[in-house]
Amino acid sequence: MSGTAPGLDGLLLTSAAEDHGKSGFHHRHTCAPESLLAIARAFDAAGYFLEMMTAEDRRADLDKMRLVYTWNRFGPVDRHLLQCDLEVGASAPSVVAATAAADWMEREVYDMYGVTFDGHPDLKRILLPDDSDFHALLKDFGRMEDAEGASGNGHGEDA
Amino acid sequence: MLEEIRDEGAATGERYVLNMGPQHPSMHGVLRLRLELIGEEIQEAEAVIGYAHRAHEKMAENRTWPMFLPNTSRVDYLSGMIYNLAYCQAVEKMLEIEVPERAEYIRIIAGELNRISSHLLWLGTYVMDIGGLTPFLYAWDDREQVLNILERITGSRLTYSYGRFGGLTMDVDDVFIKQTQVFLERMKGRLVEYDKLVRQNVIFIKRSEGVGIIDAETCRRYGVTGPNLRAAGVAYDVRKDEPYGIYDRFDFEVPTLTTADSLARYDIRIREIEESLKIVGQALRDLPEGPIMPDKPKKKFKPAAGETYFAVEAARGHFGMYLVSDGSETPFKIKLRTPSFSNLAAMPEVLRKTMVADIIAIVGSIDIVLPEIDR
Repeated sequence: MSGTAPGLDGLLLTSAAEDHGKSGFHHRHTCAPESLLAIARAFDAAGYFLEMMTAEDRRADLDKMRLVYTWNRFGPVDRHLLQCDLEVGASAPSVVAATAAADWMEREVYDMYGVTFDGHPDLKRILLPDDSDFHALLKDFGRMEDAEGASGNGHGEDA
Repeated sequence: MLEEIRDEGAATGERYVLNMGPQHPSMHGVLRLRLELIGEEIQEAEAVIGYAHRAHEKMAENRTWPMFLPNTSRVDYLSGMIYNLAYCQAVEKMLEIEVPERAEYIRIIAGELNRISSHLLWLGTYVMDIGGLTPFLYAWDDREQVLNILERITGSRLTYSYGRFGGLTMDVDDVFIKQTQVFLERMKGRLVEYDKLVRQNVIFIKRSEGVGIIDAETCRRYGVTGPNLRAAGVAYDVRKDEPYGIYDRFDFEVPTLTTADSLARYDIRIREIEESLKIVGQALRDLPEGPIMPDKPKKKFKPAAGETYFAVEAARGHFGMYLVSDGSETPFKIKLRTPSFSNLAAMPEVLRKTMVADIIAIVGSIDIVLPEIDR
């Protein structure tokens, strides 16, 4: 919809327009971890809100953990997909200082993927029990094929 | 709880900790608020969540794309139809599946009826929470009409799995149309009753007016959406701003108010029920004949690798699905961006320096559904 991203010059590794009708995104960006906070501040200053934040366990194909952010406006809609690949085991800068929404979202990413965020005011688990010893959305946790008695057809609940 | 009070309260003499929930009767599900108080004034509030975590996103990665369909309505069981159809529409977008016209219209009707029933449940329970027991019975009666209508066409009363990739499981008939028209007529009168019974009640007004202000800037910083955002004057509605299905064909308004308090959120939801009734009426009027599924529905498929985002306006705000395919039959990832998660995230800031007696009048007013937050 809009031509260029707001105030992101020099902060991105790659940036391209997307067909919103096909993918749901207007823009697709990648960045280095050290740019995350500056990018968040730029979106915040331009009146965007942090719509969603999550991670992907890309260790199998890329040997990386990927952070995913979508920034959007309350209208006209202008959705930016931001992907940031992290070395496995590395921490990322928190963007809570730029937007309060990141507080719970970063806690969820930590909870589910084990990624830690430097500068988060109170990084702790949010959905899983506090004494959990696992991160539930890592690909090597809780696989159906590992379950005892799993039939391998995906109907693993009765295993 | 007692130990915490002893430890911290005894040490300071006045600042103490009070746990509200996780099984407090007005917490609607299981939310725990850890409150730090001086007297009855809240100094800090922390929302402790996760009690209803069922690992829906993990389940998604352990089954094929179609097998995730029944999960969707369980994420938010009060707008299960909207969630279920949203997943169908997200996959349809990813696979570029065409949906027959008749199915599109029925989806609108079913989704808006679902929104009305969700708002009615909120209305009844919220007013009950702050002391009005009678309206609950009226709201429940009205909501029952919607559940009966939807049960007849879907087989379910709450956790619908009515959508399929490309259409719907079952068609509607003349009885459905008649029942829905009767409901539309009924609700016109009922909204007048609610106005007299609830909105003109002095106690209700005194308890909800001016409390729990969530202004537009706070909404933006936390990603608060839905009726809570519109009560703060921002006319953001996914149905208008990022139209999906055939919403762009309907004549309806996005009501807004500017007072941003609990009372405004009540007023917004009532007006949204009116707008939903308008949409349902137009959809019934224009409902075309024809098939409700494509000729060759896709049952097994491997979406091309890549990411897709699809958003809908659920009863509580912006519900987004972030789908990642690695080219296999199984989702690589499905992230559920649920509105209540962000709406509740703003609560600690909103509750600061308010009184204990107002907590329910504030937290209840944002219409939280904990299973949707915990997923």
